[in-house]
Amino acid sequence: MSVSEQEQLAYIAAQAADARVNLELETEDGMTLNMGPQHPATHGTLRLVAKLDGEQVVAAEPIMGYMHRGYEKLTEVRTYPQVTTLINRIDWLGSFANEVPFILAAEQLMEVEAPPRAQWIRTILFEMSRIANISLYIGDMAVQIGATTPIFFAFRDREHILNQIERVTGGRFHPNFDRIGGLKDDLPAGWIEETKAVIKKMQTFCDQMDDLVAGNEIFQARTRGIGVIPAEVALSYGLSGANLRGSGVDWDLRRDQPCGLVYDQCDWKVWTHPDGDSYSRFWVRLQETREACNIVDQLLDNIPSGPIMAKVPRIIKVPAGEAYVATENPLGEMGYYVVSKGDLTPFRVKIRSASFSNMSICPWVLKGVFVPDIIAILGSLYFILGDIDR
Amino acid sequence: MPAVPGLVKGLGVTFKTMLATLFPDGAKNPIPRPSAGAQTVQYPHVKESPAPRARGVIALHEENCTACMLCARECPDWCIYIEGHKYLAPPRRAGGSPRQKNALDRFDIDYSLCMFCGICVEVCPFEALFWSPEYEFSELRIADLLHDKDRLGEWMHTVPDFEAYESGSEQKTKKVPR
Repeated sequence: MSVSEQEQLAYIAAQAADARVNLELETEDGMTLNMGPQHPATHGTLRLVAKLDGEQVVAAEPIMGYMHRGYEKLTEVRTYPQVTTLINRIDWLGSFANEVPFILAAEQLMEVEAPPRAQWIRTILFEMSRIANISLYIGDMAVQIGATTPIFFAFRDREHILNQIERVTGGRFHPNFDRIGGLKDDLPAGWIEETKAVIKKMQTFCDQMDDLVAGNEIFQARTRGIGVIPAEVALSYGLSGANLRGSGVDWDLRRDQPCGLVYDQCDWKVWTHPDGDSYSRFWVRLQETREACNIVDQLLDNIPSGPIMAKVPRIIKVPAGEAYVATENPLGEMGYYVVSKGDLTPFRVKIRSASFSNMSICPWVLKGVFVPDIIAILGSLYFILGDIDR
Repeated sequence: MPAVPGLVKGLGVTFKTMLATLFPDGAKNPIPRPSAGAQTVQYPHVKESPAPRARGVIALHEENCTACMLCARECPDWCIYIEGHKYLAPPRRAGGSPRQKNALDRFDIDYSLCMFCGICVEVCPFEALFWSPEYEFSELRIADLLHDKDRLGEWMHTVPDFEAYESGSEQKTKKVPR
């Protein structure tokens, strides 16, 4: 069958219309601006199609899927121990936090519970990955507003935390350390002392960022009152994590649903901010990093002694059933809905990642803002492309 | 309006950081030494030493391997290739029956596929695989990233001893066969 030249041209035109190329200069009813898929403000490959009227956004639509890796499908053909190494790569800045809800869901199905020592170390590493994740965000938010210094400070101090994670797990970014029924290994000697020193450094880092970024008048002028999300809108769009707490909703799964993690053993506080703008989201995250340092510092003092692994069979077969476990990850609520049919592999895993749901508010919050504010709002919503596309 | 403008406060933070980088010894040594105060190292000349547990490259202790294929089966991306054969070894005592032994013909790890998850090292029941924190094994051709058993055996002398555990642990520190 031969395709005529006319058909070919029509096909190319249809494809081009579909991809909305060459629309940039159409000025009759506004202009279409493609931000991304390769744009520094999109943290990877998010494409944002914004319809502009002058400098103002009329409508904006995020287009995702450029980095889809099919993890939900891949988990169906990998055994349970192999799945943790895959889901490390969902939110790559706070990898350890990704493993925990999946392991907790599998433990719930198998009806095993990790020994207390494993639960404490899990919580410590969970909070350390939160510090590593959000400290980079703090620097990144500033760099999107136009300040270059904070990002270098953030990379500098995040490295201390990553080194400590590497000393325990063997991997800076992909720990693959959590196991069904416990942990892979115990802490090496001297780790607690070193981590205490690192937590001190991170607290200094938070103070520095308070002075350097949060108190800066230019930063405040660029973020205060920009991208305001009222509490009821935030709730209706399914926002979670610091984005929701930045809108004044007192909601934290660490406190409300501490299944298998020992947050009730220490004294800490959930920070909220009533404003709901970009600045409040940034501020809540800054306070959360402090609070996470505080939690780690308290937990390090009294880790119970004992084994780190419960009795689990060598070949893990999870009994048939369904379980959903969600934890408060650095980016928000991250949950795994695990369906098992009693095989070596999960039958189905639905991953509820925080960034994907947080992105859904983009068309609402970007309506009517100016072009430079898109960057501030996207930066403050804080998403990681691996977490969106999975 | 705060007493000290935020801009000035922020400049103070960067200025202090600059001083700490230039004069890491404080007022004792007035000669600036930025390379001593820097957080980074000049890589090819100065090397960082990763933690002993760091997952750099996998080393193979060939004598312990029985070609049981557990690592190859558990590998999430199937990048381990093993071939082996059985042979009859002479009996230990005179008059005994010959023993059946496994010999390893081929043990390759394709590092262009490896995800460095460590499952193979974990499942090995005979302590034949170990992590080495060595990280400098990049190649110009992707095919050279397939390490055969001799090359994997060479990594064995870079494997550090296992660290002792923190107090309160019930784990026993294992020994690396040398």
